[in-house]
Amino acid sequence: MSTFAEGAELAPVAALPDAHIAEAEQPSGKPKRKGGTGMTIVIALVALLWISPLVLLLITAFRPLSDFVANGPLSAPQEWTLQNFKDAWGVGNFATTYRNSAFLLILKVPLGVLISAMLAFALAKLRLRFGAVIMFAVFLGLTIPIYITIVPVFVLLRSFGLVDSVPGLVGPYLAFGIPFEVLVLQSFFRQLPDEIIEAAKIDGAGPWRIFFTLVIPLSTPALVTVIILDAVATWNEFLFALILLSSDANKTIPVGLLNFQGQFANNNTGLAAGILIAVVPILIAYIFLQRWIVGGLTAGATKG
Amino acid sequence: MGTATLEASAVDAPGAPRRRKKYGGVNAWVFALPALAVYVVFLVYPAITSLWFSFTDWDGLSPTYNVVGLQNYLAMPKDPVVIQAVINNIIWTIVTIFFPVVIGLALAMLLNGKVRGKPVLRLIFYTPCVLPLVAIASIWGWLYNPQYGAINEFLRAIGLGSLAQPWLGQDSTALAAVMVPAVWLRVGFPMLLYLAALQGINTDMYEAATVDGATKSQQFWHITMPSLRPAHYIVIALSLIDSFKVFDLIYAMTYGGPGTATQVMGTWMYFNVFQYYQAGYGTAIAVVITVVAIAVSIPYVRSQTKEHAV
Repeated sequence: MSTFAEGAELAPVAALPDAHIAEAEQPSGKPKRKGGTGMTIVIALVALLWISPLVLLLITAFRPLSDFVANGPLSAPQEWTLQNFKDAWGVGNFATTYRNSAFLLILKVPLGVLISAMLAFALAKLRLRFGAVIMFAVFLGLTIPIYITIVPVFVLLRSFGLVDSVPGLVGPYLAFGIPFEVLVLQSFFRQLPDEIIEAAKIDGAGPWRIFFTLVIPLSTPALVTVIILDAVATWNEFLFALILLSSDANKTIPVGLLNFQGQFANNNTGLAAGILIAVVPILIAYIFLQRWIVGGLTAGATKG
Repeated sequence: MGTATLEASAVDAPGAPRRRKKYGGVNAWVFALPALAVYVVFLVYPAITSLWFSFTDWDGLSPTYNVVGLQNYLAMPKDPVVIQAVINNIIWTIVTIFFPVVIGLALAMLLNGKVRGKPVLRLIFYTPCVLPLVAIASIWGWLYNPQYGAINEFLRAIGLGSLAQPWLGQDSTALAAVMVPAVWLRVGFPMLLYLAALQGINTDMYEAATVDGATKSQQFWHITMPSLRPAHYIVIALSLIDSFKVFDLIYAMTYGGPGTATQVMGTWMYFNVFQYYQAGYGTAIAVVITVVAIAVSIPYVRSQTKEHAV
């Protein structure tokens, strides 16, 4: 079989998660009638209730504290202001925590996805001795709560002089990201037909070339999903950051937000603005990238 | 030491495989090792070291400690906070699995019907899942504020002002008040999975059932639910795994309080290690819940391994 034919055969596999998303957007197959106004109203009301805490937060963040106190949290704002954001940004030390969280993200996510993809490739496509045992041991990591590791991780990092340093978080973050990333990636890699790998091998390609020029490009949908979910988890991680970071200069967004919450306990509008500052990047990223998240999560489930 | 055995097998691997069906040998280990090394150093080794610490009286600071055998484990049943934490963990697990699964399934069924604006609705229900738990704690702490919180204000507005209360500040309501945001944020995941699974069900089955005179409820119990079995399995397994890890929300919302009303094993472990300097006892608490979590999850992990190791 020519390589060309192999490539053609592969296209649907690579497109799989996309197809899945398209299906989710527009229930396929079934001849769906338009309409269902009654149903739509019911579920829209539930959705409104669901999102109301965030809507309320948004409105409150843009109103003056005096207005909030005088008229109550549920009243319509009499005036609008950006002052809350100015106050919160300074007191919450957000310039620093943003920088630290972004630094961590850039350092951790690509590295984590790369080494997880390599392990997933070895498990899915290479003849790895004790592969099943390794897979079991790695997947078991999904069930391990972070808090069983915090004391030894603290001791370990202290011996490296990496306590209270943002790069020090990378090791533990990588380790706890690996099980999920390997789970998703190896199941995707497995769907790539062995024939194209065999063909590349006959053409003289070594495993590295196969990995970087064949497996990685063909797995873009799965990789993007894993990157996004890993970025969300990294941005949100709290326990390790709480224990390992002590000085204000090194805090990440979640730990900084917790401190901020204490300081602004009596300033409800400022608190709302601070919470928004902390979650806006993740919300924007989610809104733009949600199809990848949905596709990735559900692709795993329907295989069941 | 884990790494040593890996390297040893990497050396004898090339000799073994004659059937060169796939690439094998040393190369496979080169690909596997970076992730395995990180995994062993920062997850496996610390977990095993914790097991060791749990048999000691280490305070977490001193350079030395004594091995005390099972003393930490035997002290647990006599610790009223551990009893409270275990009960809270059980309540937490049941409530934060049952409600999200039921609500998620109901929403998925609604979204799978004749509804407009599905992508937006789906987006809304999943949004809480992507927020940091600390932010969720802040948002709900703010909603629960006795004086300026929206929840009490809402109750006053609809004439139920007598029900307004310090939700997070009293024993009787604190745990429930922390579980509400947990349910809120955990509905999205089952909803997505069920929605995808529902869309995979062949509609011919429903048509045939309708022709045979099956009622909607019969169709639900005899077609929909059995077809969703794989989704149920994944949803419940992942929710179970997740619920044992509870820490962030409780720490950031109530700090285990008022008193010890909302302590769970994760937070009580933390307080013992970092507040009371009883690292030995704290790690013993962590070991207990980790062992339970692993035991409960092994069927799921095995199914994932088996399914893939074809």
